[in-house]
Amino acid sequence: MSAKGASLKGLLLGILLVSNMLLTKEGVTSLPICPNGSINCQVSLEELFDRAVKLSHYIHSLSSDMFNEFDERYAQGRGFIAKAVNGCHTSSLTTPEDKEQAQQIHHEDLLNLVLGVLRSWNDPLIHLASEVQRIKEAPETILWKAVEIEEQNKRLLEGMEKIVGRLNFGENGNEIYSQWEGLPSLQLADEDSRLFAFYNLLHCLRRDSHKIDNYLKLLKCRLIHDNNC
Amino acid sequence: DLLQWPHISKCRSPEMETFSCYWTDGNFYNLTAPRTIQLLYMKSIDEDWKDCPDYITSGENSCYFNSSYTSIWVSYCVQLASKNEVFDEKCFNVEEIVLPDPPVHINWTLLNTSHTGLHADIQVRWDPPPTADVRKGWITLEYELQYKEVNETKWKELKPRVSTMVPLYSLKTGRDYEIRLRSRQRTSEKFGEFSEILYVSFSESDSECVHCTEEIGFPWFLVVTFGACGLAVTVILVVLSKQPRLKMLIFPPVPVPKIKGIDPDLLKKGKLDEVNSILASHGDYKTKLYNDDLWVEFIELDIEDPDEKNRISDTDRLLSDDHLKSHSCLGAKDDDSGRASCCEPDIPETDFSVSDTCDAISDSDQFRKATEKEEDLLCLDRKDDDESLASLANTDTQHQPVNTQSENIQLWPPFADSIDSPRPSVHTHISNQNSLTNADFYAQVSDITPAGRVVLSPGQKSKVGRAQREGCREQNFTMDNTYFCEADVKKCIAVTSHEEDEPHIQEQSCNEDAYFTTESLTTTGVNLGASTAETPSAEMPVPDYTSIHIVHSPQGLVLNATALPVPDKEFNMSCGYVSTDQLNKIMP
Repeated sequence: MSAKGASLKGLLLGILLVSNMLLTKEGVTSLPICPNGSINCQVSLEELFDRAVKLSHYIHSLSSDMFNEFDERYAQGRGFIAKAVNGCHTSSLTTPEDKEQAQQIHHEDLLNLVLGVLRSWNDPLIHLASEVQRIKEAPETILWKAVEIEEQNKRLLEGMEKIVGRLNFGENGNEIYSQWEGLPSLQLADEDSRLFAFYNLLHCLRRDSHKIDNYLKLLKCRLIHDNNC
Repeated sequence: DLLQWPHISKCRSPEMETFSCYWTDGNFYNLTAPRTIQLLYMKSIDEDWKDCPDYITSGENSCYFNSSYTSIWVSYCVQLASKNEVFDEKCFNVEEIVLPDPPVHINWTLLNTSHTGLHADIQVRWDPPPTADVRKGWITLEYELQYKEVNETKWKELKPRVSTMVPLYSLKTGRDYEIRLRSRQRTSEKFGEFSEILYVSFSESDSECVHCTEEIGFPWFLVVTFGACGLAVTVILVVLSKQPRLKMLIFPPVPVPKIKGIDPDLLKKGKLDEVNSILASHGDYKTKLYNDDLWVEFIELDIEDPDEKNRISDTDRLLSDDHLKSHSCLGAKDDDSGRASCCEPDIPETDFSVSDTCDAISDSDQFRKATEKEEDLLCLDRKDDDESLASLANTDTQHQPVNTQSENIQLWPPFADSIDSPRPSVHTHISNQNSLTNADFYAQVSDITPAGRVVLSPGQKSKVGRAQREGCREQNFTMDNTYFCEADVKKCIAVTSHEEDEPHIQEQSCNEDAYFTTESLTTTGVNLGASTAETPSAEMPVPDYTSIHIVHSPQGLVLNATALPVPDKEFNMSCGYVSTDQLNKIMP
């Protein structure tokens, strides 16, 4: 029995080490420079942006992989072309659509927009994580990615709120937010329609995560590196 | 020739600010009217198809969308059409079709050289493609470097990285190398085109060692050859050497399994009986295997083995502590071994063969044989003689049928010798039994075979009268070769007996009949009650057995003289079995 216990311990240790390794590889370790509870310590803005960019990059790569897997698994042969002209629920938010527009917008407004998009995705991500489990024979990779994205999105939102707080500007009166109405479409009885709804949602997620990632990189280069990344 | 339709080959954006789409003509229009292929596009928000704004900038069969026409994170659809015919259609977002240009200004510098001057490390540097606005962070790029020797065919790849410089280690100064690079958007998987090839060659000044010879590869071939030869020689020497020690050292003998006293041939031939007996002589064998299931223990031993060697005296065997159950009656103990179920008198013989707890299949045959041969422990002996009354003589009781007992006493020499106390009365009582199932489990030991087995005898069968026998017949003794509890028989006997002429003697004889189970001898110091002159009645069978009070194992027995009218609850189950044949002999 002792040998069994020792081997179990070894296995557990191995798993811990590997998982730690994987996490650091992904770049989402948040090694706190400031331990919790310390008052005088302040994480630099640069560090905050660094972490935010890492998170946003991670979220985008997750959603991109998830979309590709879903596409491979369910969309082939069903004709879900990336027409996706149905639009995303965040399309109502006016965001810069090319480089000139992004350069012209003020960083405060851009930050608020980022916050708005992140908040708008909170709800859909929660439902995505739960509804995707009801897809018949959903691969494990898709399932855990959905959960992971939802979690990381929350963390990114917190980080962005911190950055906004650090830059000392409050949000405008009208908070940017776009309501998501797509839950019924994810619960349709007809499998084809339901899968198409998922396809659209994942496509929108990939797009918006890329958008946020880009804005944050822009902001980082602009604010921290003075346009000289 | 195969007919090829015009189709859109690819749409590409190099920097996420503009994009172009390219198509192929196909051979469709070679024969007919001039080409009027059009590329139409539609943004997601538009409602109709628009014509391509620029057919020229990107070359032939292309359409170029400049930054004013390009919107990121917006879905586009482009359509290759001619008049009313649609050849191909594609839909995409611009950020999905980003394939950056290759990096520019690639150069290398020498980092250091090895001592031998045969190897060197270099640092390769480059700049990002000019079209991509990396500085403002609009696009983030990853670069992949590939290199190889000039005369090699396969490129070596380095991991994609964001930095614009990378060291290359341990290049051979004597060889020339080729280096090329390509880039991709960090969030995508597809790379852009390769850059131009950079040639690396080391001048003489780079390698400091002048007199160094050409490096020879490690002589693997020689090492392997000599090693194999040496090993072969060593092995041959060892094998051929007469030194047993050395041989044993390298080729140790493999031990074969051996059990002391057992000839492997026995196992091969499958004579399990003999093996069993041999194993049995190793005392621990039985107890370990059959510790919990004494019932099984009783059954599985080969009762009939005539070859069994007995080095232990009968007395010792009977009185010894170890569980030589082979000689014990199937007396019921007050534990929960499966025997209880087998003590049912109604159990037909077939049950024995199927019941796990009661019997092994093979052994049930043995039982049958045993009963027939009258050597069965389980059954009351069929000696219908006065010896049925045999018991140890009582000194302190009012019953003194010494004559009748004398013979029996002789049958008990071992016990007589070993009993310390003056021959106490050995009384038992049959517990208050009204049914066939409740019976005590004492039987009189009438003989001990040379093999060491105890032969039990029934009680008072000689005194059974005819009428009572018939009465007994009414009982449920109809099955052949089934086992009955002794008590049932006793009861029958007792019932018949007490109507005899000499009830007094009957009682005495009943009382004086004594039997033991070896088990009770060896295990329990049971306070058995001896019955005194119980009036035998139809309901209350006459107790004609005495019981042992204490076992001074292994030498002595103390028999209980007192009589307990209360049936001993411990002995609810019958122990002895009588076959119908025996029973029928009891009652003619």
